[in-house]
Amino acid sequence: MTSFDDPDLPPPEPSHRLRSFLLTVAPVVGLVSVFVGWEAYVRIMDLRPLTLPRPSDIFLHVLDNPGFYWENGLVTFQEAAIGFVLAFLAAVVVASVMAHSRFMERAGLPVIVLIQSTPIAVLVPVFLLWFGFSPWPKILTAALFAWVPFVANALTGLRAIDPDTHELLRSTNASSWEIFWRLRVPHALPYLFSAGRICIGLALVGAVIGEFFNSSEGLGNAARVGQSQPALNQQLWGSVFVLAFVGVVAVLILATIERRVLRWHPSQSLV
Amino acid sequence: MHDLIDPELTAEPRGGIQFSGVSKWFRRKGQVIHALSRIDLDIEPGSFVSLIGPSGCGKSTLLRLAGGLLDADRGSVVVEGETPAEALARKHYAFVPQQPALMPWRTVRRNVALLGETNRSAKMRGVSADARLELIEQMGLTPFLESYPRELSGGMQQRVSIARAFALGAPLMLMDEPFSALDEITRADMRYQLLELWERVGCTVLFVTHSIPEAVILSDRVVVLGARPGRITDIIDVGLARPRSEVMEDLDEFHAGVAEVRQALKQGSA
Repeated sequence: MTSFDDPDLPPPEPSHRLRSFLLTVAPVVGLVSVFVGWEAYVRIMDLRPLTLPRPSDIFLHVLDNPGFYWENGLVTFQEAAIGFVLAFLAAVVVASVMAHSRFMERAGLPVIVLIQSTPIAVLVPVFLLWFGFSPWPKILTAALFAWVPFVANALTGLRAIDPDTHELLRSTNASSWEIFWRLRVPHALPYLFSAGRICIGLALVGAVIGEFFNSSEGLGNAARVGQSQPALNQQLWGSVFVLAFVGVVAVLILATIERRVLRWHPSQSLV
Repeated sequence: MHDLIDPELTAEPRGGIQFSGVSKWFRRKGQVIHALSRIDLDIEPGSFVSLIGPSGCGKSTLLRLAGGLLDADRGSVVVEGETPAEALARKHYAFVPQQPALMPWRTVRRNVALLGETNRSAKMRGVSADARLELIEQMGLTPFLESYPRELSGGMQQRVSIARAFALGAPLMLMDEPFSALDEITRADMRYQLLELWERVGCTVLFVTHSIPEAVILSDRVVVLGARPGRITDIIDVGLARPRSEVMEDLDEFHAGVAEVRQALKQGSA
């Protein structure tokens, strides 16, 4: 009766509007429900702020003290960022050397495992002995935390290249330098980016732990002071919130770079 | 029409390859495998020669010995009067692996340019950018010029691999079962695309395949190998005229060639 029944006509286009709207707001829904649930729980159970404060109070507290959190957040962010970059550079250099020689790979692996298995936090007092009251103990802790995932991923990325493409380059007598830059490095990029996402969190953990030990600034220090004095309880939670925010912003920055650099990679086709 | 081969090479005769008394062994986990035994083979410059045989007969090994990617244990391989290693250093081989082996981070245009970029001391810088575009056009890849490999079908990817090999402009082409992963329709198409390019360029082609009809329709000569140890059991001259076309697959000469190769394969494995 209607044109819908005409077998030569395509079916009417289904509406994707609602679906795509829901997918866009889904992350916001997830986050908001956590905070709403938390707020409701504290209010219903009538918890003391020292046990668990209301998230709304923490947000207000942070907004009331923007200068304090900006300054301390910047200190922690800088320590973590410098540590992150140092870890990245050291990992790429070490992995490149190891990828070039079987001997160096076998010699280096136990050292990596050793560093991986050592609880790095225990080295902070050592760094304090060496560098004293300076940013370096924190930067080094951040760097060591981030180094292991970077080096492991860089090594896999530089080594696990396609054997056919490798042979193809060898058939033109390409130098190992050319093979490194044209094949190994681009192949390692996706591995390095996925390590980077993990390492942002680890570098922040390292910086904060360094600040716990000995520091007069930074969010780790702010949290420690906040924990030791009940009157400053909101400062502990404010530091937690700002740290989480710093981590999220850093991950978003990295994801933006990744989208530009890895346009060719299947992981980017979902966007 | 652009030059698809390095002008410096056009004056010289295209690369011929001579194997004399070549043997090759592999050692794997304490086992010694006799991969090739006493290979004598003379590949004339500018000819299209296929290697066919059962799995494990050493076809790919023979290809890699010709290309200087492996060294012979006994006997000698001579390429254009030099050792394969010397020819390799001068970039006189264009290699087409079994898998397309494209770089996923390069667009089609940049993948085709790849082989000209490496080892630049060898003078062989590949054909001009215009000639590369023409190769891409001839392979039907122009709409995908700025596409990444993952956006292409398997057949299209293998077309890029072939365009990349011709874009080097080398006198010798080594092809290791390049069509084996493709469906029959794509495969039949690509045989004639390959022949069209080869007839323009006139390089020497060594072509490894599992397909008897493919070997016959493409080649001047079909080298039949037997296994354990890998050895040449027969060399068959294909009596078909050039240029080849799809209609020739209905000719008696073609069927006779197919039957002859099949017979040789049977006898070789007996």
